[in-house]
Amino acid sequence: MFGLSRRTLVGYLYVAPLLVWLALTIAYPLLSTVILSLQDIRIIGTEGSFVGVDQYRTILTSDAFWSSTGRSVIWVLGNGLAQTLAAFIAALLLREAFPGVRIARVWIILSWIVPTVVVVIIWRWMLSASGGIVNYALVSFGVVERPIGFFSTGTSAFASVILINAWRMFPFMTVIMLAGLMRIPEELYESAAVDGANAWQKFRHITLPGLQPVLFVIGLLGTLMSFNTFDVIWLLTGGGPAGSTTTLPVLIYDTAFKQYRLSRAAAMSVVTGILLLVFALTFIRLMSPRTEEQESAL
Amino acid sequence: MKRSRRASFVLIVGLAALLFVVLVPFYWIFTSSIKIPQEIIARTPTLIPQSFSLQHYDKLMNSSQFPVYLRNSTMVALATMGVTLLLCTPAAYALYRMRLPGRRTLFRIILITYAFPGILLLIPLYSMMSSLRLIDTLYALVIVNVTFAAPFAVWLLQAFFQTIPPEIEESAALDGANRLQILLHIIIPLTAPGLASVAIFAFITSWTEYMFSSVLIISEQYRTVPVGLAGIVGQYQVDWGLLLAGASVTTLPVLVLFALVGRYFISGLTAGAVKS
Amino acid sequence: MNIHFRIVLLVMAAILAVGMLPALAQEPVQITLWHMEQPPHRVERIQLLIDEFNAANPDVVVRQEPQNWGEIYTKAPAAVAAGNAPELLFAIPDFTPILKDLGQLQDVTDFVAALDAKHDFVDTAVEPYAYDNGTWAVPLYNMAHSIWYRPSVFAAAGIEPPTTWDELLAAAEALTTDTQYGIGLPANRQLYTDQVVYDFMVNAGAEEIYNPDGTLRFDNEATVKAYEFYSQLFRFSPPDSTNWTWGEAEACFASRACAMIPQFTVITTYDTQAEGDPNDLGVIAIPRSAEVEESGTIAYSNGVMLLTSDPAKIEAAQRFISFILEPENYGRFLNMEPGLFLPVTDTGSQADSFWQDPMVVKYRAQVETMIENSKNGRLFGFTNGNTFPSIASISAQNILAQVLQMIVVEGMSAEDAVKAGQAAMEAAIE
Repeated sequence: MFGLSRRTLVGYLYVAPLLVWLALTIAYPLLSTVILSLQDIRIIGTEGSFVGVDQYRTILTSDAFWSSTGRSVIWVLGNGLAQTLAAFIAALLLREAFPGVRIARVWIILSWIVPTVVVVIIWRWMLSASGGIVNYALVSFGVVERPIGFFSTGTSAFASVILINAWRMFPFMTVIMLAGLMRIPEELYESAAVDGANAWQKFRHITLPGLQPVLFVIGLLGTLMSFNTFDVIWLLTGGGPAGSTTTLPVLIYDTAFKQYRLSRAAAMSVVTGILLLVFALTFIRLMSPRTEEQESAL
Repeated sequence: MKRSRRASFVLIVGLAALLFVVLVPFYWIFTSSIKIPQEIIARTPTLIPQSFSLQHYDKLMNSSQFPVYLRNSTMVALATMGVTLLLCTPAAYALYRMRLPGRRTLFRIILITYAFPGILLLIPLYSMMSSLRLIDTLYALVIVNVTFAAPFAVWLLQAFFQTIPPEIEESAALDGANRLQILLHIIIPLTAPGLASVAIFAFITSWTEYMFSSVLIISEQYRTVPVGLAGIVGQYQVDWGLLLAGASVTTLPVLVLFALVGRYFISGLTAGAVKS
Repeated sequence: MNIHFRIVLLVMAAILAVGMLPALAQEPVQITLWHMEQPPHRVERIQLLIDEFNAANPDVVVRQEPQNWGEIYTKAPAAVAAGNAPELLFAIPDFTPILKDLGQLQDVTDFVAALDAKHDFVDTAVEPYAYDNGTWAVPLYNMAHSIWYRPSVFAAAGIEPPTTWDELLAAAEALTTDTQYGIGLPANRQLYTDQVVYDFMVNAGAEEIYNPDGTLRFDNEATVKAYEFYSQLFRFSPPDSTNWTWGEAEACFASRACAMIPQFTVITTYDTQAEGDPNDLGVIAIPRSAEVEESGTIAYSNGVMLLTSDPAKIEAAQRFISFILEPENYGRFLNMEPGLFLPVTDTGSQADSFWQDPMVVKYRAQVETMIENSKNGRLFGFTNGNTFPSIASISAQNILAQVLQMIVVEGMSAEDAVKAGQAAMEAAIE
């Protein structure tokens, strides 16, 4: 039938339920978001008329949209840096053999498996300026004179949220990074040592290239997941103070549900989606690892 | 290879720092949750609790709806686990064992779905659930959670499927087994760790989901833990004890789950990372 | 494969069908009540009253669904749109217009008139809900801000409770020591901040943000003065108060880290988490600037909205509301949070059920002062007999708070910030 073997047909049948599911729960909503973005609906459930690309024009010329985009970029870069660095160091440590290492390799992921609400509660409690333990330690050790309001200025709030998110996410990256590190054969390092290579040379010529497939995964997934982070920021700062932690997802939520401009938020979502799509496709094309084995997966 | 003293020292310091960063916050909220209110908000924090009281847990379990939230979250998470496995296992199998044409494109499409912010889907999914009369039901949450877990689940599974040598399947086929039988009796048992890791991933994704749960669920009786916890705390008074007890209890089920089957998830993640 | 697929579909259909059964059965009239009083003890008290009502009215079943202020502005319109709206929804005056725009809100003028004849509503409680030829909610309780402090702390610093802005500033400065902040003021983009900002606007003579014709007059000298004073006072507030909601302020007061806070009430927190000594809990009216003659404060007349047009449900809901306002029940209702909710009816303000609650007995002096202060209460958008429903879009976005943030976080001048605030408000109501 259709010139395809029975085997292939059965294969498609196996994939079909998943595809149908995703079509209904993602493709269809995406389509309706696009339609929504071409109207002027404000409160959900009210009537609206078609206004073509008006919403797009408004947002693409608005300061708020572009500053949020900028913040999202900084957010992604900040998180990427913090998480990759922390993951790398943690992976290096966990690669060693020591008593209890196997337990450590499993439980490192603790902060990733708890709900965001719990993460937020923990850190708001610990960073509070009246009774929080972090400030108490800082003041006791004489690092600062008075408690710091971690969320009271734009810069410190942004940095705090990035670090809290990194704390939550880096273990996930650590596991992946560790997997990559452990794949690099010990012999490579040994023969390099015999040739007189120092630590930096080993890192640059053995570790980095060996990690390339893993860094690819972390880079792609990590960026996408990071960009779309909403609940951590929303629950910690609500996008403030004074809008300084309002990244794109936060702006979209705020526009839809606090400013009651549903269509405008839909337009923002579409633009964001396109930006990310372009990023993802470019990233895959440029950074895709080249070996045979990896090709088969991607 | 023996470690030099200096290297050992660096290792110990590094590990201590890692341990500190990861574990101390949890130690802090757990020990604080058993203190009396006055000690919790005292300006001088006490590292070792000076008092002991289970009043917060008592209030949490008996005076609030928290047990209901726990029940709902558990049901939704288990259902999400089941449906995700049902959908993704055959799909990943077909894509990777059967080398379907177009699988690369299909795989990319599946992964690209992660490019879209969850928030993008919030409004249209809400309207959809609304027309299907699924607002305020746990089914709606299961549907949403599966959608978010499925793409990554497929990715996790494909790595495991690739570890099975084709010869096993070929000899089974020679013995007269059809595709379904091969899947059920050979592949699945061999990739049990992979399935376990997908199950855990789905469970955790579901357990921690906040955004959709807060909008799709209206009644107390269907609320899930993250939303319920945020609400119990109340914005009018911060009852820190209650809050910390809630945070501790919320963490517990995933801790237990992880203690039992956590290593499968880690090995799954590890395999997935390596294979792609 | 085929048959497996069909079986799965069948099972799913069966599950869905069973799930829908309850909706099809015949039942007593169901009334769902949404409110934003989520703390467990408040939920318990409401449930108590609901159970009594249900027992006395077997043909009606009332259910409560506590909601969250952070989510309700989203959820309520969405629920109305999806056909899942509750029959009864608690409201504050600037939340009501949003619901009214969606066309589901019932006009309760006659019902309120009948209740008025029986219980005598405080007029200022009904006014914020009466506009556009209708009354859109039934007032249920009042809340007003006061300044809370500890007399012992004042005595130790040698200061008297302040009544003017100069005195307030001096007091805050005198009370700020190494271990204590003189006053706790929020600067979060949130309702609590809006409220405290408005406390100062009222006391600067800037309580009107609308002109009689509905245009905005937010940008005026008095408003600028109010914000300038706030930012001066803010220097004596804890550094993380930029992130505060009501809860953090109360915690600060309870732990003695803050010497004063503006707040509806601290009684419950003070009693359960602090020393709970009624003789050392002071409450005064918000101090006034030199521009006004008497202190004022923000006051919210909280009400309940009727969102159903089904006659049977309307009748049942009205029965329930009347039940709540009966003096023997009303006091218990108000005391779900003792000292927070104040009566809006004359019969209520004299009800034993109100004054005999143990907590109210313990803190009687404070509650009496709170009621006194509330008589000078105002609400932005609903002042001096004028009501401007467009305020809803402004408070949904917490623009009053945003303007404050421009000043204390971004360092803008008060004039520029207020100007920007006016522009933001105009954009919001356009």
